[in-house]
Amino acid sequence: MIKFSRVSLIYPHSTTTVIEDLSFEISEGEMVLVMGHTGSGKSSLLRLVNGLVPHHTGGILAGEIVVDGRSTRTSKPGELAGIVGIVGQNPIATFVTDTVEEELAFGLEALNFPNDVMRKRVEEALDQVGLASLRNRDIATLSGGEQQRLAIAAALVMHPKVLVLDEPTSALDPVASEEILAILHRLVHDLSITVILAEHRLERVIGYVDRILLIEGDGSTAFGTPEEILKKSELVPPIVRLTRALNLEEIGTSTRDVRRITEQLRSELRDSERPLHVAGKVLVAAKNISVNYGEHQALKEISLDLHASEITALMGRNGAGKSSLIKALVGLIEPKSGSIEIDGVNLSQLKQSERSNRIGYIPQEPGDLLYLTSVSDECDRADKDNKLPTGATFELLHAMLPSISGDSHPRDLSEGERLTLVLALVLSGSPEILILDEPTRGLDYSAKNRLMALLHNRARERGTAVFIATHDVEIVAEVADRTIFLADGEKVADGTTLDVLLASPAFAPQVAKVMSPRRWLTVSDVLRSQELDQ
Amino acid sequence: MSSTLHPLTFWSIFTAMAFGVILSDSTISAFVALGGAAWIVYHFRGDGPWRNSFKWSLIAGVYLIAIRAVAGIVIGVPRVGETLFTLPRIQLPSWMPGIRIGGPVTWERLSFSIHEGLIIATVIALFGAANSVTSPRKLLRVMPAHTYQLAVTLTIATSVFPQLISSITRIRQAQYLRSGRRPRISQVAIPLLEESLGRAVALAESMESKGFGLSKAQSRYRPITYSHRDLFYILSGFIFAGVMVAL
Repeated sequence: MIKFSRVSLIYPHSTTTVIEDLSFEISEGEMVLVMGHTGSGKSSLLRLVNGLVPHHTGGILAGEIVVDGRSTRTSKPGELAGIVGIVGQNPIATFVTDTVEEELAFGLEALNFPNDVMRKRVEEALDQVGLASLRNRDIATLSGGEQQRLAIAAALVMHPKVLVLDEPTSALDPVASEEILAILHRLVHDLSITVILAEHRLERVIGYVDRILLIEGDGSTAFGTPEEILKKSELVPPIVRLTRALNLEEIGTSTRDVRRITEQLRSELRDSERPLHVAGKVLVAAKNISVNYGEHQALKEISLDLHASEITALMGRNGAGKSSLIKALVGLIEPKSGSIEIDGVNLSQLKQSERSNRIGYIPQEPGDLLYLTSVSDECDRADKDNKLPTGATFELLHAMLPSISGDSHPRDLSEGERLTLVLALVLSGSPEILILDEPTRGLDYSAKNRLMALLHNRARERGTAVFIATHDVEIVAEVADRTIFLADGEKVADGTTLDVLLASPAFAPQVAKVMSPRRWLTVSDVLRSQELDQ
Repeated sequence: MSSTLHPLTFWSIFTAMAFGVILSDSTISAFVALGGAAWIVYHFRGDGPWRNSFKWSLIAGVYLIAIRAVAGIVIGVPRVGETLFTLPRIQLPSWMPGIRIGGPVTWERLSFSIHEGLIIATVIALFGAANSVTSPRKLLRVMPAHTYQLAVTLTIATSVFPQLISSITRIRQAQYLRSGRRPRISQVAIPLLEESLGRAVALAESMESKGFGLSKAQSRYRPITYSHRDLFYILSGFIFAGVMVAL
């Protein structure tokens, strides 16, 4: 279906090749995962498939890419519309019209399909992704998962043979992401559509894919079955880390396989306790806060405490009220009722400059805080803002990320580097409270590990109260001491991470699913038990 | 709520009314046009994200009239007539000839300023009214295919705009929380510019991947058709413009 023969790609004004001498072949009805570090050229590779690269972006392409018998060199992306459907990283930015039905009809109208065909195709696509009840809805009012489904449906109306998706689950909660993957799975198995997707959160997709294309940092590539690739790769999902850590011969890619391999272990190992930590004093105390947007009640009587030296995670589906809670805690919205105290002082009595000193806030788009032309300029400004000696912030940044250069432009940094820069800027003011809104979107495993180490260090060494809102179950399992779960504006769980995550199957991390009913969340939990035996 | 009209009908009516108001340059025609626009918006307003643009354009118009009136009092050219009150004149340096600040304010001068502000505000309100009853994207759907370049530009512009407002708010809030001060324009503009560019490119890519502009002929899903009612409304718009200019 898709054949890459000796493909190399270089962008204009660049001295390094994005892809070098890549050859592989994907047959009909395969689901292929493209994985690699951020900036390894995954997005470029995906867009090579329908010719957006180089027709739309420019760049020099060597070698030959043939999709369903047609060369992308001579066919424009539009001419391949009936063969390749592409779903971008951020669906909302790719919608052309206002309502669900119009969006689905858009591509068909452009290619002059007769009306009766359009009617049938639109119905069919609505059913395939389960959006029939929302057909007349305004796109802006759809949830993240619904928008992703609409983007897939808008590609399906063209009856493509290949579907290309760039990080389809990165913005979604675990439940919505399962829905998307189930849809893709059905398309592959029932309609023999070839699916190619890029994704950082391997734990979410690994059980579904037939083969993996791995792009290493040095430009070399490997293509093979998940078992072959994951045996050697340094990017692996938690279950593969588990089998590696236990020195097992086989590796498995699905919960079922690994459960079979670890059956004996599960019955033999003794229980172990997660290391205890001593939470400090209460730094943030919220009592019965409610927030309304017009008629809609976003938060209902929420109370919570954030302690010094403790990492608290905030979880819940998209739209459960996580953002509203964070906005209330940093003082962006005034709760309708209830009170928020920062270290015993009412939040509304603190001046904004004092709030900024005490509460460090990392927004969902870290780039929102960056506007200067080099990393060192940004650091110098933070020094001035926080009245620190020149170079202090850069030193902090350098300790977190030794490879960073002060001359680079913040826009040229990878997603993970940019987040680290913003963290350094905010942490240079030594806030007692650090609040992060969905920090792991688009981060690869190495960037995520760096973030986790940093948060852990801040909480334990500096006594910072860390509050992190996220969809990423694995990061919660690794670092959070306590987890709060919101649903429809209400607090439904608040307890140790172990208790909260094990209580809900959809939000359980991969290791917990494998090891159920034993109470282990992470690879290190299992290893700790193993050590007890030795 | 009545069923809606063809998007081109709305745009023709409001364009005709705007021309009528500008050419006739009379306060009465401005008020009649505003009344007509309000009636049309009341009857045909949709439920899209643009539905309140008429209201917002009216509010913007009130500010505009106020600013024009103040400017007229302070800087306006002298007009002979009944003097209401006199402002102290400020002596300007000799290299700024022909400009006067202050001086006697006459009734004629004030009413002329307000009238001018009203005409401009009316034209803006008519544009807002058109947006209230039909989204610019709907207009795009009825445009012929050979306007491809224009259509792409318009789609990108109209879809980036509403997003722009929410992005500005988000970036301002993030910067405010970091420093505790209101951010300067450049601090907001640079992240905003990058985000808007990224969105515009993503949208253009998406349109290209779906084959937009490739085929000369385009079919219509649930086509929007002209009816006698459309004709009636368009004619009324033109008659209004004609009568106003003739008077």
